[in-house]
Amino acid sequence: MKSFRRLVYPYIVWAFIFIVIPMLMIVFYAFTKQGNSVLTVKFTFDNFIRFFQDKIFIDVLLRSLKLAVITTVICIIIGYPCAYFIAKLKPNSQGLMILLITIPMWINMLVRTYAWRGILLETGLSPEIKVYIGMVYNFLPFMILQIYTSLSKMDKSLIAAANDLGCDNRMAFLKVTLPLSVPGIISGITLVFLPAVSSFFIPKLLGGGSYVLVGNLVENYFVTTGDWNFGSAVSLIMTIVILISMYFTRKFDYEKENN
Amino acid sequence: MKKLIEFKNIVKEFDGNIVLKGINLDIYENEFVTLLGPSGCGKTTLLRILGGFLEQDQGSVIFDGEDISSVPAYKRPINTVFQKYALFPHLNVFENVAFGLKIKKTPKDIIESKVNRMIQLVGLDGFQKRDVTLLSGGQQQRVAIARALVNEPDVLLLDEPLGALDLKLRKEMQHELKRIQQEVGITFIFVTHDQEEALTMSDKIVVMKDGNIQQIGTPTEIYNEPVNEYVANFIGESNILDGIMKEDYLVSFDEKDYKCVDFGFKKDEPVDIVIRPEDIEIRERGKGQLNGEVKSVLFKGVHYEVIVETMVGTSKTVTMHVLDDRDVFNQEKKEKMHASDFTMDLDDVSEITDQEIIARANAQAWDAESEEDISIASVEYNIEMKAGKYPVTFKTHNGTLITVHVNVVEPKYVEDKSSNVGITAFDFYKTVDEIKESMAISVDLKTWADAYAWYLDDDEEVAITNVRFDFDPNEIEEGDYKITFSTEGREYKIHTTKEFKEGARVSIAFGPEDIHVMSKMVNM
Repeated sequence: MKSFRRLVYPYIVWAFIFIVIPMLMIVFYAFTKQGNSVLTVKFTFDNFIRFFQDKIFIDVLLRSLKLAVITTVICIIIGYPCAYFIAKLKPNSQGLMILLITIPMWINMLVRTYAWRGILLETGLSPEIKVYIGMVYNFLPFMILQIYTSLSKMDKSLIAAANDLGCDNRMAFLKVTLPLSVPGIISGITLVFLPAVSSFFIPKLLGGGSYVLVGNLVENYFVTTGDWNFGSAVSLIMTIVILISMYFTRKFDYEKENN
Repeated sequence: MKKLIEFKNIVKEFDGNIVLKGINLDIYENEFVTLLGPSGCGKTTLLRILGGFLEQDQGSVIFDGEDISSVPAYKRPINTVFQKYALFPHLNVFENVAFGLKIKKTPKDIIESKVNRMIQLVGLDGFQKRDVTLLSGGQQQRVAIARALVNEPDVLLLDEPLGALDLKLRKEMQHELKRIQQEVGITFIFVTHDQEEALTMSDKIVVMKDGNIQQIGTPTEIYNEPVNEYVANFIGESNILDGIMKEDYLVSFDEKDYKCVDFGFKKDEPVDIVIRPEDIEIRERGKGQLNGEVKSVLFKGVHYEVIVETMVGTSKTVTMHVLDDRDVFNQEKKEKMHASDFTMDLDDVSEITDQEIIARANAQAWDAESEEDISIASVEYNIEMKAGKYPVTFKTHNGTLITVHVNVVEPKYVEDKSSNVGITAFDFYKTVDEIKESMAISVDLKTWADAYAWYLDDDEEVAITNVRFDFDPNEIEEGDYKITFSTEGREYKIHTTKEFKEGARVSIAFGPEDIHVMSKMVNM
């Protein structure tokens, strides 16, 4: 096996160049600002202070978290019954249903979002609702697939065992099926929450200019204003928020398994 | 004892396959009942119907006087130990066992004491906090039993629970299960395909086949008084013979009459007779009912399994003509060729093909230097529809040729009316090399001689088990050799603690009570 280790070198080089270095650059930009002609860069905390002192920025951050949380919750509420239903079908039909759910993902996300913009244009819904519709639509398949995988792996005789021990179908679901599908829900959350919290073009396309999120903020500072330092600071804050929320999700999962 | 469960005419069908064909069965309180049969006999289906996991298409299940056909699984006072245990992987040993009690909202302190007592009963004390997925097969099995028993069901169903365990553990669990059943004093219904398991543990065995019950009885009844050939074969080892019931207490088989203890058959009714191997005694020649010769002796640990042949099979002797090598060598083209004379049945002449002639004559051609095979381009012959000797010529593309003779003969069968067997074989020609090259001489001799045996009444093939010849294939020279093909005669399997020599001429003896007469099975 040892000789196969060398196969990992290209990835290490690739990851170093395209992941580690850009990350370091973001950290570097976040903690510096443009200096004078003598000292071109200056180390500073100003970018962070600026972010946390401005109520607008905090609002944007909270709005992003809210959007991600609600999107994830809706995805679980819609996705779980859907995955449960698919897992109960005959094997052939299961394959077909999974295919149907995956097919839209073959089409570029941007194209699909534009389509939604067209659909929702004349509806008169609030920008916020439109954004939620677009977000749930885009991320739902990830949730369904994760939960479906954990449900379909489950030994069917466990349900029979639960029935045998006095559970009606509702109890069997609550006591056996649901706890055993938690790992699927957790990985579903990971796959939905993370991209949702930092997404920027769905809110931009469907919410118009009126619905600003952290993602849009970062995009703005990098692309429009050209203030890379502040933009980097915002994305760093975002990263830390995600790391913290992931830590809690994992911890919850871990405790659940060891209890 | 009180009747607890009654199956009344249970019929179950899966996709047009009838897996239960009207089962009627009574099960009493505190019984250890085993449903025994090969896979696909419907035993698990019957168990699942009782457990409430399947619904029967017809008939009813009466439990304690009430029809429970429409009662769902979770309301039945029955618990199951599943085939692969079906332990909940997200719960530890204690929680798995406590599951049923928690669902019934039993007070916590009672759960605690009951579960711990049950864990102790199955011998897993100290394992309460263990992860069930990390237990061994035997331990998981015990958890599954404890999880079911803690609910104090009236009946415990066990669906081949010992199948996944190794032999030693399985024996241990057999005793353990019996002990647990006696301790808790409830009805156990156990499903297995292992006859030994059934004999060891059960109070009552239900032998099933193709969705029907064949026999219900205690282990001794089933073993000593099997109702038919199927049960006799399935339970233990046996000698099963065809016979005719002359009158009450008199049965005839292998052309001799024997006294027996069975009665109630029609006069001259064809029957099956079973004699258990341990009921036959081997004596000195002439001092038993049947004389025979010891064919083989196998040491089985506690006893020897001796096969005694009392009647030789039907046989046919043919002549093998061994010839010198007759390879033809075409100097010019550097080709070698070979073929042998052969004999053919007159009946086969009309259907013969070139391919078959090449095969029968074993005609081959090859490059003299590279030894590579060359195809035979043409076969010339003119075989008439009557006995005689005809030339056959094989030719390659390059014109190398060889001529052999085919002997067409009238078919000659040996028919043995008493054993209902016919046998045929033909004389044949081979070269020294062909015989020396043979990897399995007996098999090749059968092929070369075209030896075949069949039952005279239904034309089914009979195996030719014996090929006798008196040459050493490695030292063979030109000349004629006699070869005798024969079918298996009447053989008796005997279990004895004495050792016998193969080839010994002995007598076998059995008393009237050792002969058990059964009705012929009706094909269902």
